[in-house]
Amino acid sequence: MSESTTADPRGFFERNHYLLRRLHSLSGVVPIGLFAIIHLTTNSSIVWAAILTEKGRTVTDRTVATFQEEVYFIHNLPFLIFTEVFMLWLPILFHALLGIYYAKTGKANTDRYSYQGNWRYTLQRVSGYIGFLFILYHIATLRWGWTFLVPGGTRWEYPYAASTLAACLRGGVGEVTMAGILISVFYFIGVTMLVYHFANGLWTAAITWGLTISQKAQQRWGVVCTALGVTLFAMGASAVLGFATLRPDEALRIENRVMPTDKRVELQREGKLKPNPGEPRSADAVQTH
Amino acid sequence: MISTFTTSESLAAARAANRRAAVAGRTVIFRIKRCDGPGKPSRWEDFKVPVPVGANVISCLQYIAANPVTADGKPTTPVVWDSGCLEEVCGACTMLVGGRVRQSCSALIDDYAPAEGDVITLEPMSKFPVIRDLWVDRERLFHNLKRVKAWVPIDGTYHLGAGPTESPDQQGTRYKLSECMSCGCCLEACPQFNLEEKPDMWDTSFIGPHAISQARLFNMHGTGKVLADERLDALMGMGGVSECGNAQNCVKVCPKHIPLTESIAAMGRATTIHGFKRFFRG
Repeated sequence: MSESTTADPRGFFERNHYLLRRLHSLSGVVPIGLFAIIHLTTNSSIVWAAILTEKGRTVTDRTVATFQEEVYFIHNLPFLIFTEVFMLWLPILFHALLGIYYAKTGKANTDRYSYQGNWRYTLQRVSGYIGFLFILYHIATLRWGWTFLVPGGTRWEYPYAASTLAACLRGGVGEVTMAGILISVFYFIGVTMLVYHFANGLWTAAITWGLTISQKAQQRWGVVCTALGVTLFAMGASAVLGFATLRPDEALRIENRVMPTDKRVELQREGKLKPNPGEPRSADAVQTH
Repeated sequence: MISTFTTSESLAAARAANRRAAVAGRTVIFRIKRCDGPGKPSRWEDFKVPVPVGANVISCLQYIAANPVTADGKPTTPVVWDSGCLEEVCGACTMLVGGRVRQSCSALIDDYAPAEGDVITLEPMSKFPVIRDLWVDRERLFHNLKRVKAWVPIDGTYHLGAGPTESPDQQGTRYKLSECMSCGCCLEACPQFNLEEKPDMWDTSFIGPHAISQARLFNMHGTGKVLADERLDALMGMGGVSECGNAQNCVKVCPKHIPLTESIAAMGRATTIHGFKRFFRG
């Protein structure tokens, strides 16, 4: 009798092992994967807006304006910081920490068994490590304002989203620097790794949850995941290339036309636009160059 | 077309090409990873073996046992290995032939070493403790079958009568799964299944594709399914089905071509449903 009333001697992780594994799998798809699709769609507008928006203005004019309007929309969503913390940062941290713990239970053996599936297994873990480092750098520099990690020291600010992002990628507001090229390459690798991680993870998630069972079904779902991966890669690559080749001074001119400073100040006074904490500094910084 | 990745087809093609090119009356070097006992260090020893037509690894090991002299003429102890049926149905003679896991009884020398002086390596499986030379202790493999109760419970005090009838469809699926001979190839090739010498760690480390597939086999059995919930509970615990990393090497190396990855996905589905039921029903 006493045995049935004794508490489960297993620890928290052991008792909830299955649930944690499934939450790990789920968090990779929703919210993280879903966000990645939205995020890459927004950022690649620096390229696709050239095709999909009305003619009559220069290409840069249309792309920067479209991107800047999207950023205004996102940064004026209600409860943005809560969405960020609970739908992005915490799920990413959860997914990454558990992922590292799970990855450590395996031992790659592609040297003996060089099957394509085995390479994907190994790359899934490698891309997780590199992707997490990239996300940390990406959020810390562009969202948390850790400018000491940015060559050129530019602070990303949402009313100047395109110009400050371009400056962060290019190593400053002027011509592209050596450090800027390195950061752009790091972005390209980081984005590529994360796209692979998501596409392959979506494929394995279908097996984990038991959606695809037969080899045929797994192959069919593989085609879907590959198509999604290729599309997201194209979007990611065009976003990185688009901003790495964008001149910050030109972008700033367009941003000021989309939302002139006096109009923004007025909207902010009326509470229709969120204030930008670092604004005066950045406006001066970019303009003086 | 040059294939970047190993595939079952490219391996079969390479072996068939070797077989066609095999030279009669040649001598082949056997490079064997040797170990004198549990916990002892390993060493490599070479043996020269004259290869008759149709020789397999076991027949060559028998030659070495009868002539325990290394290639450079030094007398040594006979090489120890494990074997049983010699027709690829018992799984006992599983080892690494040319670096890859398989049954040594069905490994033809012509496939691996077609020319005079060619080298063929033999190593014990790396995921199980070595007893001696090529002989390993596969106890954990059978222990993991016990974790999922891979049997039909029919022991009792009275006659249970005839079992339920099975559809031909279900019989077809189950027959394939029942061909598992517990050889350990899937475990050896699995990056998520690794050597664990301490038996008290076995219950929380990865159970392996073979046990997941056997759980599916017995959950589909008319009488065996009375233990279905217990099997699913075991697969949902530490070291269960979620430990699978989907490298899918298991299905590639399985000598019986058992659809192990389909079994893993099927048990993923079964535990998903079981988990939801348990979550809402308590």
